[in-house]
Amino acid sequence: MPTMEWAWLIPALCFIAFPIIAIFGRYLPGKGSFLAILAIAAGFVLFLFVAYDRIDQGATGLDVFTREWFQAGSATLTWGIIVDPLTVVMLGLVTFVAMMIQIYSIGYMKGDPRYGWYFALHSLFAASMLALVLADNFLLLYVAWELVGVCSYLLIGFWYEKQSAAEAAKKAFVTTRLADVALLVGILLLFREVGTFSMMETFHQAELLMAGEDSLLSSGTALTSALLLFVGAMGKSAQIPFHVWLPDAMEGPTPVSALIHAATMVVAGVFLVARTFPLFEAAPDALLVVAIVGLATTLLTATMALAATDLKRILAYSTVSHLGLMMLSLGAFGYTAAIFHLMAHGFSKALLFLGAGSVMHGADQTDIRKMGGLAKVMPLTSFTFAIGALSLAGIPIFAGFWSKDEILLAVLEHRHWLFLAFTLLAVFLSALYMARAYFIAFRGELKEENRTAHEAPTSMALPMVLLAVLAAGFGFIALEWGGGFEGIGSFLFFDKAHGFEFNVALAVGSLVLALLAVFLAWSSYLKGKPYLSTLKSLTTPFPALAERGYFFDHVYQWTIDRVILVFSGFLGFFDRVVVNDTGVDGPANSVKRSSFNLRRHVTGRVYNYALVMVLGALGLGVAWWAMVAVG
Amino acid sequence: MADFKSIALLLTILLPAGAGTLLVFMPRGQTMAIKSLAALAGALTLALTIVIFAMYDYGEGGYQFVNAWRWLDDPMNIDFSLGIDGISAPMVLLTGIVMFAGVLVSWNVAPRSKDFFVLFMFLVAGVFGVFVVRDLFFLFFFYELAVLPMFPLIGIWGSSTDFGNFLRTKEYGAMKLTLYLVAGSVLVWIGIIALYVAASDFLGDGATAQAGFSLELLETLGQEGAFSRNFQLLFFPFFMVGFGVLAGLWPFHTWSPDGHVAAPTAVSMVHAGVLMKLGAYGIIRVGMTLLPEGAEAWMPVLIGLGTVNVIYGAISALSQKDLKYVVGYSSVSHMGLVLMGIATLHPLGLGGAVLQMFSHGIMTALFFAVVGIIYEKTHTRDITVLGGLSKRMGLTVTFFAVAGLTSLGLPGLSGFVAEVLIFMGAFQEYWYLAVLGVVGAAITAVYILRLLARAFFGPMDPRWEHLSDGGRIEMGAAAMLVFILIFVGVWPLPLMDVINSGVAELLSRFPGV
Repeated sequence: MPTMEWAWLIPALCFIAFPIIAIFGRYLPGKGSFLAILAIAAGFVLFLFVAYDRIDQGATGLDVFTREWFQAGSATLTWGIIVDPLTVVMLGLVTFVAMMIQIYSIGYMKGDPRYGWYFALHSLFAASMLALVLADNFLLLYVAWELVGVCSYLLIGFWYEKQSAAEAAKKAFVTTRLADVALLVGILLLFREVGTFSMMETFHQAELLMAGEDSLLSSGTALTSALLLFVGAMGKSAQIPFHVWLPDAMEGPTPVSALIHAATMVVAGVFLVARTFPLFEAAPDALLVVAIVGLATTLLTATMALAATDLKRILAYSTVSHLGLMMLSLGAFGYTAAIFHLMAHGFSKALLFLGAGSVMHGADQTDIRKMGGLAKVMPLTSFTFAIGALSLAGIPIFAGFWSKDEILLAVLEHRHWLFLAFTLLAVFLSALYMARAYFIAFRGELKEENRTAHEAPTSMALPMVLLAVLAAGFGFIALEWGGGFEGIGSFLFFDKAHGFEFNVALAVGSLVLALLAVFLAWSSYLKGKPYLSTLKSLTTPFPALAERGYFFDHVYQWTIDRVILVFSGFLGFFDRVVVNDTGVDGPANSVKRSSFNLRRHVTGRVYNYALVMVLGALGLGVAWWAMVAVG
Repeated sequence: MADFKSIALLLTILLPAGAGTLLVFMPRGQTMAIKSLAALAGALTLALTIVIFAMYDYGEGGYQFVNAWRWLDDPMNIDFSLGIDGISAPMVLLTGIVMFAGVLVSWNVAPRSKDFFVLFMFLVAGVFGVFVVRDLFFLFFFYELAVLPMFPLIGIWGSSTDFGNFLRTKEYGAMKLTLYLVAGSVLVWIGIIALYVAASDFLGDGATAQAGFSLELLETLGQEGAFSRNFQLLFFPFFMVGFGVLAGLWPFHTWSPDGHVAAPTAVSMVHAGVLMKLGAYGIIRVGMTLLPEGAEAWMPVLIGLGTVNVIYGAISALSQKDLKYVVGYSSVSHMGLVLMGIATLHPLGLGGAVLQMFSHGIMTALFFAVVGIIYEKTHTRDITVLGGLSKRMGLTVTFFAVAGLTSLGLPGLSGFVAEVLIFMGAFQEYWYLAVLGVVGAAITAVYILRLLARAFFGPMDPRWEHLSDGGRIEMGAAAMLVFILIFVGVWPLPLMDVINSGVAELLSRFPGV
């Protein structure tokens, strides 16, 4: 209990580091980078204590600490933390990956004019994400959620002198912000129904609803709010149709991409669904939607990854695809599998991005067509990249294999067989694009212009090696190890603890598909066999569509330019011409004009006035006569 | 201490007014002395408002720091009576902050800096007057005092907008703003006289008690039934629209962007930051306090119009080319949130509305201060011409970004707390309007981020190579505002405690809610 109560310190340390580095960074050793790393490292150490404590106390427990923030009317707004297994694993992922990436950045960002500001933002980013996973109420979650969004905005647009970076940052923020409208409305709806932002209370009501007892939630509200929360999650986790911001987000420094793709930002959406799972369970239709969106995302973006030629873009689409897989898993009641995959993917993807960063740093290339044979000059990068790729491709003993297998099992058990078929297709595609990227970039002939490429410096190599170890070995956490630890399924679970299950047919089937994909890529890209081009021509028009991203961006751009901006221009015009010039200036002008006209009657000529006097007298006389005569 | 409490509010009026009078007699050429005196008055006033706010006892609630002087006897019964409650206390603090910041950013105002500060001081004295009096006659008096200096301030020190096909001269802006606000005050005046007459009628000829303009007296009479339901239904709109004009209520908002754009920096700050709040404050203080039944009946209209404000202002801001027009329309949008919050008649919504008044006041003052600094350096506010400024004016742009992020409701900054409370309140009964409000906040994100990307980020125009951040004094003022936005965003408790007490008191008049 004692250490868990101090878990709030993990984000707090990073929050405190942010203003210190931002304001005094230039006076600190390493321009503040050491302080940032110190804060996150302290967080990691604290996490170890918390994790030990959590396992020691019994993993099923759930501890909430709450403090008052302020009061408004009769409502008390609080901040507080939940320390449950989900929180613990997320804390581990975030602190570790963020620490690795910050260490890597020391070398990568060397010489940047805003070096201190970069590390300040990293601290704030990590702090926000850590607060997000610890939050015990929806309002605090939303607070952290938005802070994560703004940090990624600032980091993607870190090199804001580039117009493309400024635009990409804006796109990321606006896209996710639109989805957040739904999230906030969902939260407000839950607040209205339940009367508090507390998650525990909300989940309690959801459980009552499931049990058919009196609940403050109706099944309609549960469904609506679950769907609204999910739309928010879709924005952050870049699910279709909100996925467009993520590939552009690589305009930021590469370590930032690694962080966004692996441990912060995009996993927030998956985490949100996992965190609010009781609500989703009370609304099974919402889970079906989650599964369908996840499946569609994973398939579409896998084909986009296959069509892309920019190394970072391939990785970006691959992230979206794997996020889709996690969503699908959640939608198939695969709670443990989804989080397990989130971790495995997080380590692997961070590793892959750091590898891509190392290539950019050493060979100054981002287009895989201009690479080739890099393994000869950058052996370590090539080796670690291969490990990450194997993990994502789902090859046995590497981390991704175990989690992917769990997902397949969940889909098999809880969803229609068509889901399983498409998921297997996604597994095949995933292995195919990873193998393609690796073979084209690192194998084959070394190009002339890359002869001078050099391997990464130690500060960059160290994080890559450590992450490679995890990408290779993390999967074994699934197994029973004795000593009170019976595999991740007994620690992190939703309904009931379960050990690692293994469906041999499924495992062998998915493995065959993955190996087939690797073989196809190897034979086509390295041996010049025409298998893949045949496959490409067979599946027309998908390759061409995938290259253009299925026209999502075009449709959005068209809508913004032709609908929204036109409407806004119209409204601006309306405000000026109708409301202002007619409604406001109109009366003013008519007063002016009528006074101008009335002025003419004051002619100054005596006979005019005399005439009016006579007419007036006559009129009065007639009126008087009429009244007397008639009356 | 009791002595201080009885004159503290009077001092808030006398300090700026006295400084203004003193400035009249200063020799014209002594600009440094003039500026120093103005800054000193500003600093003292700010210190005074902070002390007043800190000393306000929210546990006790109600009017505090009360004092009254008889001005006209029977049958008028006009008192110069002072006092603040949990709703006006934050407004007094806001006025102190914005005024001080306004003096600082006007450091380089020219020509005729003496005249500028004289008018500015009287303007501020008028604003303080409205927030601290408890008598409708003087409320109206100070209200007019706050409006009139605007005309010369904008007409002389303002700036015109000329985009070729779109021309707005400062004279036009000044004239429109003044006429508009005077028209609104006519409605208010009619309403006040109607209240007085109704109260007199109710008391009858032989009554021992006498009618008057005192808010508390009228309220007591109201509770005894002086204002019939029909009377309330008829006259609440006079206050809603009359004060609403000043709050930028749609469709009576067009003076606001034009006026704010034409006005010099400090006047924009005080005007958008504080004067627009006078409108919302008037609706609460006069309309809702005295005519609760009428208010209750008209609130659906007000919340509807407020929502129109939010969306309409945000969408209009999206297509503006002038930096200041963007901020001007964003004020229209944000004041809509205030009106929405007020109209919820819910403790959450109303508390949020009052907090939003405070937060928007600081935020918009910061906006205008930064835009003023940028304009002073670049001599343009055309978004399409600016570009990449952050390379040379990094800190200035950071300040603008903080204001922008507050405006789009980023957590950790004061705007978020206020907006969330308003939405929470509105969601209780008008969920569809609350959803529209949230959408409006999202549109805010679009126009703010577009603006940042266009005007401040991206490659820098070589023309701006020689630029640098604003001077120490202006930047110091902006930094103070930034600090307040963050402080309130992280720790709203001190403000909310005071606001809650005021809101609870106000809502106790609405038994049906």
